[in-house]
Amino acid sequence: MGAILVAARAAARHPSHHRSEGARAALAALAALAAWSWSISALAQAPAAAPDFSGSWERYRGPPGDKNNPPPESDPPLRAQLAGEWTARRDAARAADARGEPIATGYVHCLPDGVPSMMSGPFPLEIVQGRDQMNIAQEAYSQIRRIYLGKSQVTLRDIELGFYGHSVGNWDGNTLVVDTIGIKDYVRFRDVPHTRAMRIKERLRLVAPDILWDEITIEDPEVLEKPWTTTFAYRRMPGYEIIEYVCEDNREYADENGVTRLRIGTP
Amino acid sequence: MIRSLTRLAVALGLATTALTAAAHHSFAIFDHTQTVTLQGKVLSFQWTNPHGYLELDVRDGPKNVDHYTLELTSINMLQRAGWKSSDVSAGDEVTAVIAPLLSGDHGGLLLELKVPDGRTLVPPVPAIGTFKRTQP
Repeated sequence: MGAILVAARAAARHPSHHRSEGARAALAALAALAAWSWSISALAQAPAAAPDFSGSWERYRGPPGDKNNPPPESDPPLRAQLAGEWTARRDAARAADARGEPIATGYVHCLPDGVPSMMSGPFPLEIVQGRDQMNIAQEAYSQIRRIYLGKSQVTLRDIELGFYGHSVGNWDGNTLVVDTIGIKDYVRFRDVPHTRAMRIKERLRLVAPDILWDEITIEDPEVLEKPWTTTFAYRRMPGYEIIEYVCEDNREYADENGVTRLRIGTP
Repeated sequence: MIRSLTRLAVALGLATTALTAAAHHSFAIFDHTQTVTLQGKVLSFQWTNPHGYLELDVRDGPKNVDHYTLELTSINMLQRAGWKSSDVSAGDEVTAVIAPLLSGDHGGLLLELKVPDGRTLVPPVPAIGTFKRTQP
């Protein structure tokens, strides 16, 4: 960058009657600018040896002891009062299931999971990796998240909250480091509440040629006592083409008490 | 509008406990302790998400016909398991093994379906082994 400024200043110093010298300086400035632009562009791209995550993937659960199995999931390190409420809701849901009156979920309303729950499966994922963008589709509910590569994260003032938030990704060697903000408060992972300040950091990397890990760390100091990490493993599905999924007609509905019921068709 | 949004937010707030990684969908409305075998005529086979549905008329005595609504898994799961929308057609005489609705309504979760060409089709119900079979 310094070379550009020097060359540009040199060009500016030469009056028009020193055209040839000025032109040379201008050309040098342009060349330096081009080189600088190229280096910035290269930074924005995947490194030459960056792995290609493109393709279809499904959750992988290997046999016990398989080194491709990620660490087991842990419960959220919620702050004390929230932890009590979380456990109470979980127990209430289990009791409702046991009674045969499951509490209606967002799925009953045909709502998608959002980030990061959509990364948990159970339906396949499809990754389309480009130079500047990576799209990850979850087959269920045709969910799509977009990760802008080589970009700096925006602030919450720049975006509206949503199901998928705003994600940027940058390569750290062979690992894609993804940062996501801007998730709506009722879009929850494992029923864990969160504030607007929640930040989701993911590290995506191949641990074997056909095994991908997504290490998801959620940071939200008002809610969590410490960052909370969950890792999912996926295996490639060679040749698998994602099937469309439209939540077209759910006969299940929530009754006035929020209990899931099934609407019986008329003959 | 605001009220409906609030209701939705409340529903979602209540809802999420069931959103575990293990299951997209709860099967708790169906009886896990017994199965029922139905023989009847297909009125329609609805190939939709989030579930497929089979409408079945079951003759109960010389004059009475009971109507049942049978829920299947997501059609994406059915498709991956080899099912086709053409596997069952209106008018087919079929035998269905179901986990009945706990509510007592005439409906259930389809666990097995014998179609006219003699094939027995099994929907890929997650944890299908947790439904106890009580009728052959």
